[in-house]
Amino acid sequence: MSGNIRGFGYLESLPPVTFRRLYQQPATALAIFRRMLPNLAKTIVTTLLYNETPVALGDLEALVRPESYREREDAFSKLRRLHIITENNLDVSLDPVFKKNFRGDHHSFGVPCNTEDKKKITVQFLDNYATRQFEAILHYMVGTHNEVKPSEGVITLLTKGGLMERYGAGSQATITKNGFSFLLQDGNPQVWALLIQYLEMAEELGMEQTDVLHFLLMLGSLELGQAYSVNTLTETQKLMLADLRDYGIVYQRKSSSDRFYPTRLATTLTSESGGLRSASASMSSAMVKDAEEGKGFIILETNYRVYAYTNSPLQIAVLNLFVKLSTRYPNLVSGRISRRSIQEAIKMGITADQVIDYLSSHAHPQMRKSLVTLPPTVVDQIRLWQIEGERMKTTTGFLFKDFHSTQEFEEVAKYAEELGVLKWKKSARRCMFVTRHEQIADWLKRRASAQQQQPKKAAA
Amino acid sequence: MPPKRKAGAAGGTAAVATTSAATKRSRPATPAVDVDSSDEYSGDEEIENTEEGRAISKAVNAFSLDLVPKGNDVIAKRDSVSYIFNKQDFSYLKMKLDHESRPLWINPESGVIVLESFSPLAGQAQDFLTTIAEPLSRPTYLHEYKLTPHSLYAAVSVGLDPNDIISVMDRLSKIPVPPKIIDFIKKCTSSYGKVKLVLKENRYFVESSDPAMLQRLLQDPVIGPLRVQGEGGSGITKEKAPQMGALVIPGTRNAAGAANVNNPKGGRPVEVAGDAAEDLFNSDAVHSFEIPADDVETVQKQCLDLGYPVLEEYDFRNDRKNANLDMDLKPQAQIRSYQEKSLSKMFGNGRAKSGIIVLPCGAGKTLVGITAACTIKKSVVVLATSSMSVVQWRQEFIKWTNINPDAIAIFTSENKEKFRGDAGIIVSTYSMVTNSRNRSHDSQKMMDFLQSREWGLLILDEVHVVPAQIFRKVVHSIATHSKLGLTATLLREDDKITDLNFLIGPKLYEANWMELAEQGHIAKVQCAEVWCPMTPEFYSEYLREQDARKKVLHYIMNPRKFQATQFLIDYHEKRGDKIIVFSDNVYALKAYALKLNKAFIYGDTPQQERLRILENFQLNDQVNTIFLSKIGDTSLDLPEATCLIQISSHYGSRRQEAQRLGRILRAKRRNDEGFNAFFYSLVSKDTAEMYYSSKRQAFLVDQGYAFKVITHLQGIEQLPSLAYATVAERKELLAEVMLQNSEAGQQEGDDFDGAKLSYNAGRKGTRYRRTTGKLSELAGGDDMAYIEYNRSRNKDLKGKGQSSAFFKKMHRENEKRRKEQNALKQ
Repeated sequence: MSGNIRGFGYLESLPPVTFRRLYQQPATALAIFRRMLPNLAKTIVTTLLYNETPVALGDLEALVRPESYREREDAFSKLRRLHIITENNLDVSLDPVFKKNFRGDHHSFGVPCNTEDKKKITVQFLDNYATRQFEAILHYMVGTHNEVKPSEGVITLLTKGGLMERYGAGSQATITKNGFSFLLQDGNPQVWALLIQYLEMAEELGMEQTDVLHFLLMLGSLELGQAYSVNTLTETQKLMLADLRDYGIVYQRKSSSDRFYPTRLATTLTSESGGLRSASASMSSAMVKDAEEGKGFIILETNYRVYAYTNSPLQIAVLNLFVKLSTRYPNLVSGRISRRSIQEAIKMGITADQVIDYLSSHAHPQMRKSLVTLPPTVVDQIRLWQIEGERMKTTTGFLFKDFHSTQEFEEVAKYAEELGVLKWKKSARRCMFVTRHEQIADWLKRRASAQQQQPKKAAA
Repeated sequence: MPPKRKAGAAGGTAAVATTSAATKRSRPATPAVDVDSSDEYSGDEEIENTEEGRAISKAVNAFSLDLVPKGNDVIAKRDSVSYIFNKQDFSYLKMKLDHESRPLWINPESGVIVLESFSPLAGQAQDFLTTIAEPLSRPTYLHEYKLTPHSLYAAVSVGLDPNDIISVMDRLSKIPVPPKIIDFIKKCTSSYGKVKLVLKENRYFVESSDPAMLQRLLQDPVIGPLRVQGEGGSGITKEKAPQMGALVIPGTRNAAGAANVNNPKGGRPVEVAGDAAEDLFNSDAVHSFEIPADDVETVQKQCLDLGYPVLEEYDFRNDRKNANLDMDLKPQAQIRSYQEKSLSKMFGNGRAKSGIIVLPCGAGKTLVGITAACTIKKSVVVLATSSMSVVQWRQEFIKWTNINPDAIAIFTSENKEKFRGDAGIIVSTYSMVTNSRNRSHDSQKMMDFLQSREWGLLILDEVHVVPAQIFRKVVHSIATHSKLGLTATLLREDDKITDLNFLIGPKLYEANWMELAEQGHIAKVQCAEVWCPMTPEFYSEYLREQDARKKVLHYIMNPRKFQATQFLIDYHEKRGDKIIVFSDNVYALKAYALKLNKAFIYGDTPQQERLRILENFQLNDQVNTIFLSKIGDTSLDLPEATCLIQISSHYGSRRQEAQRLGRILRAKRRNDEGFNAFFYSLVSKDTAEMYYSSKRQAFLVDQGYAFKVITHLQGIEQLPSLAYATVAERKELLAEVMLQNSEAGQQEGDDFDGAKLSYNAGRKGTRYRRTTGKLSELAGGDDMAYIEYNRSRNKDLKGKGQSSAFFKKMHRENEKRRKEQNALKQ
């Protein structure tokens, strides 16, 4: 699920202590269960959940068919990395903190605000708000000028996260390679990438990391359209509200208001499948009510022409990264992919695969009707255009030179070749290039000492 | 440029020769920057050279979209991404409420129309658009068309009314038709197609549905006095507009039996453009005045100068002066729906219109021509590109019609016959007709015969091959009432075709390749581009080489390309395919064919040998591969071929690529289950070829073909006896290639670049060239010894079956005697 920008997977790198603290919140335990575990791991967790005694590892493994070996290993390693299971001599049990809170006698899913709001906030309003806020960030990144400019806090977040760069204080920030890859991702990973970045920054600002995480994971289990009370939140979490408002994840009428509304971006944070393809797509699908509608809008033809059924400036700006756009009608833009347009995109740090992924995940329903969504010739060609620029292959290794004799050189070369580490050699200049040197160095030493002994013998 | 007025008649061919040679030389030097092929062309200076050309381009250019004054457009709403589109941002246009059910978008600036091919109305819209606009691209989902003055001229000439065009367009469009487009259509159509020149009962009439238009013409100082005063006094007569009436195109569904049934609707045999265009063919009354036959050309020219190009129509049913030709389609000849559609445009109102019909190769252009001839039933001249296709045309006529074989004569350098009787058919080549020098007595007599008569129909095969100047000559030297141009690809890189619209007539019909392939009329083709990396030796030589023509030789003779060819031939021969290998470069053609021991044909191959090789290819299962130079590009009917490999080609010529593809479109086996024909284009990686290749494919790709790039041929290393597998062999080849002079890098001269037209086609060598050389070269000292390693396969074919038993016996006895003598000596 997580993209190559750091997404949710980032959590796995946290120390065990942090996990213990995280699992103290039932909402967090649930969110991690829902969002991060493969299906097999979930089964294992539920099997263990009400077993008071540890279960033998062998028994658990026996649950899985032998041919699904890889899935089994994957599930177990995930559980270990997230410190959900503890192992004791082949006996497996759930982490006690996780177990207790996951069984769930708790009230950590946010406290609904019991007073009536003066102005009714509709789901549609929330969707509009979220779209506007989040797209403002994306717009800012692509460099198109939107009416809503993201707040200074957001810009700092983007530059800190390496998505944008600022040369000199006060100058306009420009997008980086990572930023371009970020843009082509789906909506949910995008939101997560931002939030993880936020998490790291929070640490620097002296905010309690687990507190921040708790809040983020709790957001995923809230209900859309329901107002929640601010009063039950910790101080750190209250501070966070202001920032999350900027991202469009929660809505608060005033910063002094004692209620907040999670938006669709928040409530889908920990939903299991991406389901909604991108922030804007999910929004439009929510607004059109017809989920099919928002799914795909791009048509890629075999003659490299691209037609996109869209009038969203953001989608157009993103397309413009790798398509030479030419004409815009009220609900359609047309352009074409060319060698130049792709190579310009590659220069910006976008990979061919990202382009292809983007095109296929946003392909128009008409295109999905055919067996292969995208014309394979075009896909091949896009990849080939990338390869065209990647002719140099680098290998790190070591150069051996200044051999005493050709014989010595040849012997070493032969040995290196047998080891399979020889990359290149030139007999005339007696030098060679190998990928590893330890064994050869050893061998040379042994050989040298053997040779030293030999002349002695001869003398005797 | 100084006007070359007199160049038209006598010096015409010479002028063509020099200019085309110039363009040829300069082309490889064009910088390889822009890979996108643009469909827009700049004006053609060559056409401007002649008076008529200038008049034509004036008439055309008078109506470009740019000249339509900008109306009070809504000020474009601009947002954050508008800058990307520059002036092409039309997001301010209002969509109609029910836009989802309508299939078109119209670009108000450029006249480009985008069609949603998956819309329920797409079928109708497509028929309508092919009539009024030029198809730009027709892949799977969204098609693009463009309104041009030419296309509107064509639309008007088949009888569409501008108001109806606009209303149908409005019905189909998602957005209201922009005012600028309406203006454009009205402007174009107001002058095009308004004036017709009709030959009725051997009197010429200028006809128009708008009497005011005729008055305007009569007031013209040139045309006015030419009017033949009728008995009535006013000179303008009014009559009912012609209807298709009882005219039935033979071979169509109606002809099959309903011909005699009285059809109350007027018996239009086919729906021309679906429902959308149904109502568009009604015009009420026409007005006309007569002009004398001698002044037809003057009037035509004057009308063109005035900006009212004249449409020619031939009322052949009322032509009683020219004798009827007794011929009809044989009952088994059934013409296909799209052929019917194209013909119905030609005979839309019961008269014959001149124009061009564009059908993919192998989709039965010949039959369309023959059916047209059978409909008109008057004397016909057919002009083809080569003497080979002349023979084929004659055979086709005899195959499909009940014409008396004596009534169809051939006029080539070998054959100069006339038909007997009052009416008949003559098949000839462009070069025979336009050649004005060195004409033998016989052919002069033949020309006189051609020029002395009036012809009902002139069929011009492969019109794209011949530059406009030649057409002008043809059209002026043969008096004909109607002209039908046939081609698969109405494009030339040098764009000498723009005025074909006026020399022959508008494009009447253009078929959709993919649709025909879907319906099984032409073969489905798998296209692939094979990337052959250059071997290091060849690449460094390629980079070092200064002479552009020798550079060419390096990438064509790339050993990896040779290996790929060898592998593909081997692979497809094993599958049972019949393979044609194309090479423009004759040196490479010979080198490849000799090395692989295959038969080959190029410009210098004598006619007899050509026919023998082709026959063997068709019938002999030992001969599955032939190598052809560019002479095989067009009009070569080889239904056996199922696989095509292209090793060298004419730079970025889109037309050639399409024509070559056409060689396999008529594959006999096309309707077999799962049958695919194969088209491989071999390019040497990292050379200029890559650039040309992407340009060449532009047309086919826009027709919906997809080229798969193959970077590695699976199993090529395992091929036994793979040529040039060692470095030594490759170096040897390189040395050989480097010894060639730059002439070898050139392609075979184009038969119709005009260079050869002043001589008998197919004969080379009358051109002289100066090369520097050593005496030893002339004496043959450079060649160490003459040993024929690679025997030409051509010779094998020659030997077969030719020696009779008697000669074989004699040969055996001779051998025996020689052996005995040798034995004695020892």
